[in-house]
Amino acid sequence: MAETPPKVEISKTRKRGVSGIAFVWLIPLLALVVAFGVAWQSYSARGPVIIVTFKDGSGISAGETKLKYRDIDVGEVEKIGFSAGLTEVEAHIRLEKDIAEYVDASSVFWIVEPEVTAQGITGLSTVLSGVYIEGSWDEEVGTPSSEFRGSDVAPLIKPGNTGLQIAFRTTTNGSLTDNAPILFRGIQIGKVGRAQIARSGAFAISEALIYEEHRHLINSSTRFWETSGFTFSVGPTGAEIDFQSLATLIGGGVTFDTFVSGGDSVRDGEVFEVYDAKETARSSLFRISEVDPLQISVIFDENVSGLTVGAPVELIGLRIGSVESLSGIVDVNQFGDSRVRLNVIISIQPSRLGMSVDTSPESALALLQERVANGLRARLASASLLTGRLKVELVEVEDAPPARLTQLGTDLPIMPTTKGETSDAAATVEGVFTRINNLPIEELLNSAINVMNSADVLISNGDLQKIPADVSALLGDISNIVTSDDVKNIPVALNATLIRVEGFVAELERQRIAEVLGTTLSAASEAAEAVTSSVVGVPELVADIQTVAQKAATLEFDVLIEELTSLTSSANALVSSPETAQLPVALSGALDQLNATLKELREGGAVQNVNQTLASARTAADSIAVSARDLPRVITQLNGLFAQAGRTIEGFDKGDELSRSAESALRDIAQAAKALEKLARTIERNPNSLLLGR
Amino acid sequence: MELSGTPQKTVTARATGLVACTRCARAWPLETEVCGCCGATLVSRDVHSLQRVWALWLVGLMCYVPSNIFPMLRTEQLFSVDESTIIGGAVELAHHGAYGISAIILFASVVIPIGKFWAIAFLALSVRQRGGYASRHRLLIYEVVEYIGRWSMVDIFVVAILSALVQLQGLASITPGPAAFFFALSVIFTMLSAQSFDPRMIWDAEADTEEVSDHG
Repeated sequence: MAETPPKVEISKTRKRGVSGIAFVWLIPLLALVVAFGVAWQSYSARGPVIIVTFKDGSGISAGETKLKYRDIDVGEVEKIGFSAGLTEVEAHIRLEKDIAEYVDASSVFWIVEPEVTAQGITGLSTVLSGVYIEGSWDEEVGTPSSEFRGSDVAPLIKPGNTGLQIAFRTTTNGSLTDNAPILFRGIQIGKVGRAQIARSGAFAISEALIYEEHRHLINSSTRFWETSGFTFSVGPTGAEIDFQSLATLIGGGVTFDTFVSGGDSVRDGEVFEVYDAKETARSSLFRISEVDPLQISVIFDENVSGLTVGAPVELIGLRIGSVESLSGIVDVNQFGDSRVRLNVIISIQPSRLGMSVDTSPESALALLQERVANGLRARLASASLLTGRLKVELVEVEDAPPARLTQLGTDLPIMPTTKGETSDAAATVEGVFTRINNLPIEELLNSAINVMNSADVLISNGDLQKIPADVSALLGDISNIVTSDDVKNIPVALNATLIRVEGFVAELERQRIAEVLGTTLSAASEAAEAVTSSVVGVPELVADIQTVAQKAATLEFDVLIEELTSLTSSANALVSSPETAQLPVALSGALDQLNATLKELREGGAVQNVNQTLASARTAADSIAVSARDLPRVITQLNGLFAQAGRTIEGFDKGDELSRSAESALRDIAQAAKALEKLARTIERNPNSLLLGR
Repeated sequence: MELSGTPQKTVTARATGLVACTRCARAWPLETEVCGCCGATLVSRDVHSLQRVWALWLVGLMCYVPSNIFPMLRTEQLFSVDESTIIGGAVELAHHGAYGISAIILFASVVIPIGKFWAIAFLALSVRQRGGYASRHRLLIYEVVEYIGRWSMVDIFVVAILSALVQLQGLASITPGPAAFFFALSVIFTMLSAQSFDPRMIWDAEADTEEVSDHG
């Protein structure tokens, strides 16, 4: 910075000029141009927005859901909203410009969702990609429209699709299913749309589409019937089950046939009836395609139960009409009496009489009048042997009484009748019997006999016969065992024992042992009491006794004492006599033995044991009886003894010694008596204890 | 920079009759038109500089608008397609708890570009308006803008790397959206704009004010 250089004049601009400036500003200009260009291009390439209303959104989302036409994206949902009042969902769809002009008022839109039906699975691609809206319109530019109503399901008939568009009508149940196929010879040639109930509720109606290439199969005499489900029939050829295809089995289907030729070609919008079965479809063919039926009145004066409205009217087996109505009629003028007759109005199809199609009822009537003059008559005939239904049959009766098919004024012509063909039914029954007669009953019997013969042979076979013999031997063995003496004896011996025991008990009772014993005991107790009182009074009495003794000193004291002593000892001996002592022991032993035996018996002991035991029981019973027999004697002896003792004591109450020994003797006697009483009471209370030991 | 903080009077090269090569920094006499060292064109003051700055700045701003409107990333997963804009993506990341990444993205893609636009506009305007703000602060702003400008490309790199890595056929794939293109353009143009700015004018402005004050 030592010296400052002189200030220099600097040229402020380089010689670039305007071009430099312009170049720089080109860039933002270019950017602007590009931006505007792109904006304009995208704007101009944008198609119009259409609004499609749906019942619900079902997966539509703004910015994602596409509108497809023939499976190609042609638009996108830009916005989803609700219509006024939130009643519906509005999808604002931006169309692509190049197709926009085709989207005219005839376009239809629907939401494609995955769907699984009996006919298959559709819309599977939407499982991953989400639902889309499919549109359909024809290939012509029509009046533009921007608001459409979308449907939930794919329409059957899409704009621009070719094919015969017809409608089905049915009064049966369940024959019209959505998307049910229309089959012909098993090949689908069309499909049924969504069925709806007609406003009146009388029938169901649905549109149907026959593919263009099969259009020629349908004409005005084509009849449709449903093939849903399956048919099962049992006939002379065996049981038959029939269904068209699995799809129709589940989802139903409609098939058709053209039974007669000469139908007119069908235009779009024709309504066809769908019948429930082929037969009704076939028979219906005549009903509609014909001229007005000829109505004739027939008057029957016989029982017509079984004749219903709709019953067939036949001419030599060919159905030519049906019964229209049934009513009673009373007409004295016409019939001459006031009986109630049945007025049957039948309607006859002239064309089924073999006349040309353009036959009028009048010409048919003329024909019938001619035939009636030749003997044509109406009669009742049974239509079905099983149900008892009747039909009206027109038959030519030979040498019939002359009659005419009369028409009186505006009334219906009245057909003359002939006797009802009830014999027809009888004949049929007869025929049945004839058939039964013709059955090969004899052959049947023969073969039955053969069967029996062979059965006989079989039965008389040695081996077979041996079987009963073996069985019989077995039974014999068993019988032997059963009838063996040992076995037989068991009840007898038992019985005898029981009888004895019973007898014994009865005897015991009869002799009133208990009572006797009781009196004995009371006597003994009295004696004892007397003794006791004597003993109590002894100290006071001693003096008296001593005085008495002194008085009695002269008496033969020694003899008395001896006598008393012997008496006492004899009483002792009696009381301690083995027989008396043995009695309970023997009884108890016998009972023990019996008891053991019974136990053995119960345990399945040998039969011999039983006999032995019974024998010993018998002896035991015998000894019981013996003992029992001895008892009264013992008791009388005892009684005597007591009496004697009483007397003795009375006599010998002078000495202590005497009274003491008498006392002990009496106590012994009392004990013995008590033991006896106990035994007797036990036996009396429970005679069974003898047997059972308890 | 070395002068920052020192309140010295600045002597410009021009004032000493020199012209510095902006490429190799060699000073030449004023009349020299081509740098004898590196061959760059020498000009003491680029008078069109501000025009270029403004033009490129405008383009950069124009590109910045669609870069924020259009989606930056297009993420295709098995059943869903997700398109996220820059700010939307950052918000979404923040929702998932990745506050750091979200902050980086917001900083690199929103704060920096907007700050750059603001800084360049400020510099260009302040050069015109002559004075008001310390020259060395303006120089600092300029250098920061120049330095930080390239980091705005971080977004583009993220998008590029993601698109290259996440290409799992059918399962998931990431493709750059139209915003990436515009954002890159915006960054490029703002960088060019910043480069077009001739920082020497900062000092001219200072000198002018001084002159004015001298005269005054």
